[in-house]
Amino acid sequence: MNDDLEVNLELKLQAWLDGELSAPYSRCINPEIVGGEEASRLIDELQAIKAALAGNETARPVPETREFYWSKIERQIQSQAPGPRPAQAPRQAVWGRWLASLPGFAALACLLLLAVNPFASPVFDEISSAGEGMEAVTFHDQSAGMTVVWLTDTTPARPAESPDAKAPAPGKSEVEVE
Amino acid sequence: MRQFFHFLLAGMAFTAIAPPVPAADLKLEARLIWGANDEKETVKHKPADPELSDKLHRMFKWKNYYEITNKTAGIAVSQNCDLKLSDACAIRVKNLGGSRVEVNCTDHGRQIYKGAYALAPSQWLVVGGNDTADTAWFVGLRPLDDKPSDPKKAISKN
Repeated sequence: MNDDLEVNLELKLQAWLDGELSAPYSRCINPEIVGGEEASRLIDELQAIKAALAGNETARPVPETREFYWSKIERQIQSQAPGPRPAQAPRQAVWGRWLASLPGFAALACLLLLAVNPFASPVFDEISSAGEGMEAVTFHDQSAGMTVVWLTDTTPARPAESPDAKAPAPGKSEVEVE
Repeated sequence: MRQFFHFLLAGMAFTAIAPPVPAADLKLEARLIWGANDEKETVKHKPADPELSDKLHRMFKWKNYYEITNKTAGIAVSQNCDLKLSDACAIRVKNLGGSRVEVNCTDHGRQIYKGAYALAPSQWLVVGGNDTADTAWFVGLRPLDDKPSDPKKAISKN
């Protein structure tokens, strides 16, 4: 708590010494009244430092003129600062841009729909089902370029149920054997 | 760049909206083949096409293959075509599009087989089974090329 008060007092004394306090407040801060011996010593120190700095500060000569030097700094600050926002485009132009790209998006959507093609009948590579009492075996001969479905009648009671066994018999009814 | 993108999208839109080109009819040939060990001299029917009979010889035991029926058909997409190959044997072929077909094989009107296949050019789909007296029947299906075969080439080959 005491430390805080001391720091506060020091800051006020520095401000008083630099002439930064208002006149009524400055009159209240008279170090001899407020701080006593401690304050007087601090004032002396600060005044000595101020005098030393004022007399012995190293001069840093700049090759350019003062105006040019500061204008360089200004330009650098401006280049690093974010540029001014471009003037907001009129609302019509924004909508126009969106509408212009609308056909494109529609086309893309159409293409996607066509690619998915939900209306197309399902594609099945190979579906095979034998009739009642028949058994089908499918095999491929890649070298011959032929797919064969071989049907077998599995009904023992009706051995003559093959497609041609009855009347049509592609071989039987039309073939004349001598 | 933006204009190019718009042109590209417009082109895509046109492609998507343009009416699809109607698929061509599927032309195919169907053959009823009889496999037997009977000698050629004793049989009225002509021998099957050597190309097909060679293929059948590779798989089946019968000595000779005879062609009973040879029919061709053009089938529009999603349409059926009934082909009567003998008094009892008939097939119904449906063009599913994209060289895919559904084949129904009937014996005296009774369905004995149904299958869906993709017919590759110059490749046979054969449905067959045993017949009486150690013989067999075969129904061969093959898509036909639109181009007519060049007779000069055929002659030069022979």
